[in-house]
Amino acid sequence: MADATALPRARGPRSLNLRLWLPAAWLSLLALAALLAPFIAPHDPLAQDLLMERLPPFFMAGSEPGYWLGTDSLGRDVLSRMIYGARVALFVALIAATITCLFGSTLGLLAGYYGGWWDRVISRLVEIWMAFPPVLFAVLLVAVMGTGLFSVIAAIALIDWTRFARVIRAETMVQARMDYVDSARIGGANRLTTLAGEILPNVLPSIVALLMLEMGIAVIVEAILSFVNLSISTDDPTWGSMIAEGRGAIHFAWWVLLFPLIALFLTVLSFSTLGEGLKQRFDPVLQ
Amino acid sequence: MTKHRHTLDVVDLTIEIPNGMRLLRDVSLNLEPGEVRALVGESGAGKSMIGKAVLGILPSALKITSGEILMEGHNLGSLSPRARRAAVAETAALIPQDPLTALNPVRKIGPQITDPLVRIRGWSASEARKRALDLLDRVHIRAPERVMNSYPHELSGGMRQRVLIAAAFAPSPRLIVADEPTTALDVTVQKQILRLIRELQRETGTSVLFVTHDMGVVAKISQKVTVLFAGKVMEDAPTRDIFTDPGHPYTRALIAATPSHADPNRSFSPVPDSLIADLHRQIAQDDSLYRGARP
Repeated sequence: MADATALPRARGPRSLNLRLWLPAAWLSLLALAALLAPFIAPHDPLAQDLLMERLPPFFMAGSEPGYWLGTDSLGRDVLSRMIYGARVALFVALIAATITCLFGSTLGLLAGYYGGWWDRVISRLVEIWMAFPPVLFAVLLVAVMGTGLFSVIAAIALIDWTRFARVIRAETMVQARMDYVDSARIGGANRLTTLAGEILPNVLPSIVALLMLEMGIAVIVEAILSFVNLSISTDDPTWGSMIAEGRGAIHFAWWVLLFPLIALFLTVLSFSTLGEGLKQRFDPVLQ
Repeated sequence: MTKHRHTLDVVDLTIEIPNGMRLLRDVSLNLEPGEVRALVGESGAGKSMIGKAVLGILPSALKITSGEILMEGHNLGSLSPRARRAAVAETAALIPQDPLTALNPVRKIGPQITDPLVRIRGWSASEARKRALDLLDRVHIRAPERVMNSYPHELSGGMRQRVLIAAAFAPSPRLIVADEPTTALDVTVQKQILRLIRELQRETGTSVLFVTHDMGVVAKISQKVTVLFAGKVMEDAPTRDIFTDPGHPYTRALIAATPSHADPNRSFSPVPDSLIADLHRQIAQDDSLYRGARP
């Protein structure tokens, strides 16, 4: 009975996982900036000053102290606008992705485990839904519902729930065939208990990874919609509208376009990297 | 009704897939209280399927088209799905084949043993915990507390199978279906696991339906044997008689095909192809009669 003495492996100290911590650091910084925007933004993001137009960022000749990342063609401070823009981006990312995730994952779990009519109805719905071109669908939705934060969030949720439904359905089907599901049923668990208590914990790492990915996508969709002026009112600074405005001046004031673009890029990259990192971290087998 | 109630009666059970092909053909067997019955046959003979049908975990594509399963006299087919689930949970438990997939990888061992105790027996969490620790101790796990707090991947295959045996016996079931519980383990561990199941079975007096393809295991553990070929019962007899005086040519061939550890020089031979072809021909004849008899 040698194996009866084999005890659980001790876990060694885990090395600092940069794939997890770098994105987490950037996103925390962004979240902090968004929360404290009124206190840390050096200028009013809407204040125009035509005497200060197109000032270059601090490391270039001709920059003004206090305008760290320069100003746009109306003399508005780029850094302050980016900080306020982060508010919109993160708010949309958080709310839209969470709603999308809850709705899509629930349908995916039901279709994958209950099968039969549940699966037939949900799968057909997903297929029909995916036949629509997503960007057109979003633009159409916002056009019908009117611009505004709520419309943007609704558009993202309505378009992207299929991503969760599809992936989570497939993962659920794999888990549902495992013997531990049979064991739970023999142990008197009803179907809902089995789904929530046995299968869901196994699918959760994928849900978290998808949720993070979806937050990145939500940031992009919001940027696209504000780029074409279909997000919130044009007064409020968003990264998308800054990119749209900077486009015209790219040859002589590239910073107006580049800095929000970098912020957008880093944020989307961070979300997807963090998703993968969390998936591995959550999974006791991969750990 | 008979005087003493059987723990399990399977009566003329037939299972089909949607295209009408029969996977089980009028299978009957019974289990008396405290009895171990081995269910032997080559892979694909339908032996695991009988266990699954009894426990109500048949894949949804398979349908029971005739016959009855009675658990302690209750006809499972006449119950509502909910009542059937409750009856199975109350009476029966499973020792599964593959200890790798039979434990939920993301849940700790402890709750996986105690959950059914709380659910079926209505015990408090601490009572269930005590019972689980007691059983882990009885399957010779030396640090039960620690194992309860481990994840399945932290244990070896043999340890996991012990945990599953503990989990099966924990709610004091009257019937255990053991679905090739030693097949996925290496030979040295197989023996210990087999001994453990027999030990606990004798202590508790639980009836066991022991599915296996190994005639050596049959001899060690069972009092009765059902020999299955292509979903049809070939022979049903006490284990002692099967080895001394096998009644069916297929049983004789199975025994002849088993290598002996005690006598390694004894020759053994595979089941002859001609016999298998004959049996298949007979079964095909039965099937066409069966189909013709149906409206």
